[in-house]
Amino acid sequence: MSASELLQTMYDSPLGTSLAESLYIYPLVEGVHLLSLAFSFGLIVLTDLRLVGVAFRQVPVSIVLQQLRPWLLGGFVITFITGILLTFAAGPELVAAPIFPLKLLLILFAGLNALWFEFKFGRTVIGWGGAEALPAGAKVAGWISLISWSLVVILGRLIPYLDSGF
Amino acid sequence: MGTQELFHIIQNSDIAIALGQAPLFFGILAQLFHISGLVLLLTSILLVNLRLLGVGFTYFSAAQLAGYTKPFVITALGFLILSGVFMLAPSAALYEPNPAFWLKLKFFAAALVIQFTLYRTVTRIENPNRWLAITTAVLSLLLWFSVGLAGRAIGFVAA
Repeated sequence: MSASELLQTMYDSPLGTSLAESLYIYPLVEGVHLLSLAFSFGLIVLTDLRLVGVAFRQVPVSIVLQQLRPWLLGGFVITFITGILLTFAAGPELVAAPIFPLKLLLILFAGLNALWFEFKFGRTVIGWGGAEALPAGAKVAGWISLISWSLVVILGRLIPYLDSGF
Repeated sequence: MGTQELFHIIQNSDIAIALGQAPLFFGILAQLFHISGLVLLLTSILLVNLRLLGVGFTYFSAAQLAGYTKPFVITALGFLILSGVFMLAPSAALYEPNPAFWLKLKFFAAALVIQFTLYRTVTRIENPNRWLAITTAVLSLLLWFSVGLAGRAIGFVAA
């Protein structure tokens, strides 16, 4: 099944149709998707800025991760659920241009980067304490995360412009 | 002069016409600045308010966090207002009859009032009264997130 056929099947499902035709639920889902970025994207940017040494340099990375992670992960759950719902209501036009597939690819890339960071440094991060100089890999993971999540948000905002000939 | 007339004058001004004739790229850039401003503002506000609620980033006091995030809030407001004017001016007459637009402005005005009165006062105190801190955080979060939600509604509400 091609991506276009999959999106058509999702759109034709009771969930897709009712969402696309709803007067209030679709705008609400879209609004929540956008506002949840303050939790997911915003807080991961703060975490990344700590990793690359731009913000909260006097705070141990483990503290930043421990205190922001529950809100950040909660935000991502909401962003992903509402994103999936919006995809159900979008239809096959979503893959007419490569922006949406590129966005998905970047989400996958950013997710793998986060997993790599977790496996590589998850157990040792407490030992870094308040050291300003972090392992080079951690800094690289921070930059990758910062750039890839920023591109995800930018590409997401570009999707509505596909129909206007962009 | 009524708001309808005022918004027509704005739309027909030289600067609005020039903005309206700008290539699509600039319109998209304005949208990106608007969303960046929104996320920057909401995340900054969120960080301080979670601390006021006693549930997030307790490593710092709310006063310290408010100090750290102040430049972000100011920058974000600059982004939001400038990009907002860029998007509004060329189509001002379309926005004027839209109830969601006015709702957004009302929430925005209320959020600013709370930001520069209650929020500012509470975040200057090292150990604010617990209930005052909670009330401030809830009010601030509700108002700022409502600004964002009402903003999204503009495109869905027929004028």
